[in-house]
Amino acid sequence: MSLDKVLKYTSASKTNPYAFDDDENFLKRDVTDNISHFDFKFAPVLKPAEFAKSHIDVKSQKDSLIKLAHGTTTLAFKFKNGVIVATDSRATSGNVIASQTVKKVIEINPYLLGTMAGGAADCSYWERELGRRCRLHELANKERISVAAASKLLTNMVYSYKGMGLSMGTMISGWDKKGPGLYYVDSEGQRIKGNLFSVGSGSTFAYGVLDTSYRYDMETDEAIELGRRAIYHATHRDAMSGGYVRLYHIKKEGWEFIGLEDVEDLYYKYNNQE
Amino acid sequence: MLQHKDGSVQNHQHGWEPYVDNGGTSLAIAGEDFCVIASDTRQSEGYSINTRFDPKIHKITDKIMLATTGYSADAKRLTEVIKMQTERYFYKHEKNMESHAAAQMLSVILYQKRFFPYYVFPILAGIDNEGKGCVYSYDPVGNMERVTFQVYGSASGMIQPFLDSQVGFKNQQNVDKTRLLTKEEAISIAVDSFTAATERDIYTGDYLEIYIVDANGIHREQKPLKFD
Amino acid sequence: MSYNGTAIVAMTGKNCVAIAADKRLGQQFLTVDMDFQKIFPITKKTYVGLPGLATDVQTLYKSNMYRLNEQRDIEPKAFAHMVSSTLYEKRFGPYYIEPIVAGLDKNNNPYICGMDLLGCMDVAHDFIVAGSADENLKGMCENLWEADLEPEDLFETISQALLNAVDRDALSGWGGVVHIITPNEVITRHLKARMD
Repeated sequence: MSLDKVLKYTSASKTNPYAFDDDENFLKRDVTDNISHFDFKFAPVLKPAEFAKSHIDVKSQKDSLIKLAHGTTTLAFKFKNGVIVATDSRATSGNVIASQTVKKVIEINPYLLGTMAGGAADCSYWERELGRRCRLHELANKERISVAAASKLLTNMVYSYKGMGLSMGTMISGWDKKGPGLYYVDSEGQRIKGNLFSVGSGSTFAYGVLDTSYRYDMETDEAIELGRRAIYHATHRDAMSGGYVRLYHIKKEGWEFIGLEDVEDLYYKYNNQE
Repeated sequence: MLQHKDGSVQNHQHGWEPYVDNGGTSLAIAGEDFCVIASDTRQSEGYSINTRFDPKIHKITDKIMLATTGYSADAKRLTEVIKMQTERYFYKHEKNMESHAAAQMLSVILYQKRFFPYYVFPILAGIDNEGKGCVYSYDPVGNMERVTFQVYGSASGMIQPFLDSQVGFKNQQNVDKTRLLTKEEAISIAVDSFTAATERDIYTGDYLEIYIVDANGIHREQKPLKFD
Repeated sequence: MSYNGTAIVAMTGKNCVAIAADKRLGQQFLTVDMDFQKIFPITKKTYVGLPGLATDVQTLYKSNMYRLNEQRDIEPKAFAHMVSSTLYEKRFGPYYIEPIVAGLDKNNNPYICGMDLLGCMDVAHDFIVAGSADENLKGMCENLWEADLEPEDLFETISQALLNAVDRDALSGWGGVVHIITPNEVITRHLKARMD
């Protein structure tokens, strides 16, 4: 059965509703038509990808005009009662703190979470698109998509733009028929299954804390505290991480938001204990 | 492609710089049932001022305004695209686009040019479908965040910490940090921000445009800043 | 200037001056020390803040201490000129520092002076800022500073300026220190800050 007929869905179609400046067909199109996001504009140069990479600074490696928000600590790990997902909330461009309140956990659907590291727009755009595709999968197959399949959809999408300067390091986590699932996906096309990941500029600090105390058979409270402490320590030492610790717990019934805690409060809480 | 006299082809293009930073500063502050959007009107290039009056804030619907900074040409194009799309939405659905929908649309429009971005830092501000003040801030390729206040542009480094202190009540004890400003407070902070920034930032000055969006519609004020 | 990260600010008040700094020492985005001294006492009424490359901060401070073996207090203005000359001596291989001198002269009039890394002096009547958070400090000071503040009000003003400025700069912060120099005493206070 063709998906197109069921859903009037045109995959990777030729028309881009926002591309108004090339022909008069624009007036016939509609914002609410099935939107294909795959008709990107490129610079009118011989090597558009080179242009994109040289003019857009996603990793603070060069002094280009367009500086994108980045810098992060994110982590996720599996344990006996599910998956813990934790992030900080800072975005920096150069040495300027662009925001202290970024939401770096993307709620793809009630069973799937994605994290955000690298280019913020790259992550939120493609994971939103992933959410749409996961919904289409549900409608077509009458069952929820697995974490493995969802992460593969994302990998395939970004892989087709490999070498063009996308920057994304994300952990796709969720719960499916097989139980808790956790995959690391990045813009270079990598997709790795694992029990414990940390991504971003503060990941080395977070790994230090995680590797010290991580056990698969932790209790839920213990696991949440480990996630919180790992992010907290990373924000303390990494200048590009900070703001708030955001925590999620993925269970059989779907994800649960645990809370948002100011790193400033955590510092004085932890240090007065001693 | 460059064809040399000896027949060799030079495939290398370089030095094409399609972006200019035209300076200027824009800010928005959300209140309980209103929004204040302010912007200077200077438009410059290097050390020369192209014009002293080039408004950077534009009306999108009766409830939403778009403030921009960055490259003026890209900003104008972006404004046109959004105006056009919201207008089309209006004729198709016989109602105005809600601010959260317009906000998401702006994000997608920016991301469509991910590989050849608009060099624009947009702030979409107005009132949402519940009648509350709202501010959405973006990076040039469409990363979006809903905030209560935001400033972008050449004086943002100077104004943002001031807003953190006066609007976000950061580093203050015994205050309700979730309190939203009254209209008078918000306007006066916006004016103070710009008069201070104009003293030190050469790209900000000439005139200050202030828009107040509330249930009664859009109200505009204009004040002179320094001309030097 | 942004390798180690710094925020230093000096302000004048009514017969008093204040100088404040953050405490971070980093290697780019890695925070190494959270109690690094960047402001140094020269006399009872003159302090110098040394924002910039940390290795030069310590070298410059030591070379100046050596030169100050005069058995009498130096005036802030004279000291500023001395720092300026020291910097210009290294015209073609400069110290990466933009010092700020703050003090009260013999008539207890406030004196604050900033410099670029070659020693070009900038004597101000209101405030001087320097470091990786200079833009942020400039904005805060331009908004908050007013003339003839009493010591306690000056302390509040400079603290708010410093704290809010470093909270928007990734490379500075992690605590602050404020010195209020008055004719009779120097009040030194340490500020709690965000530790991220």
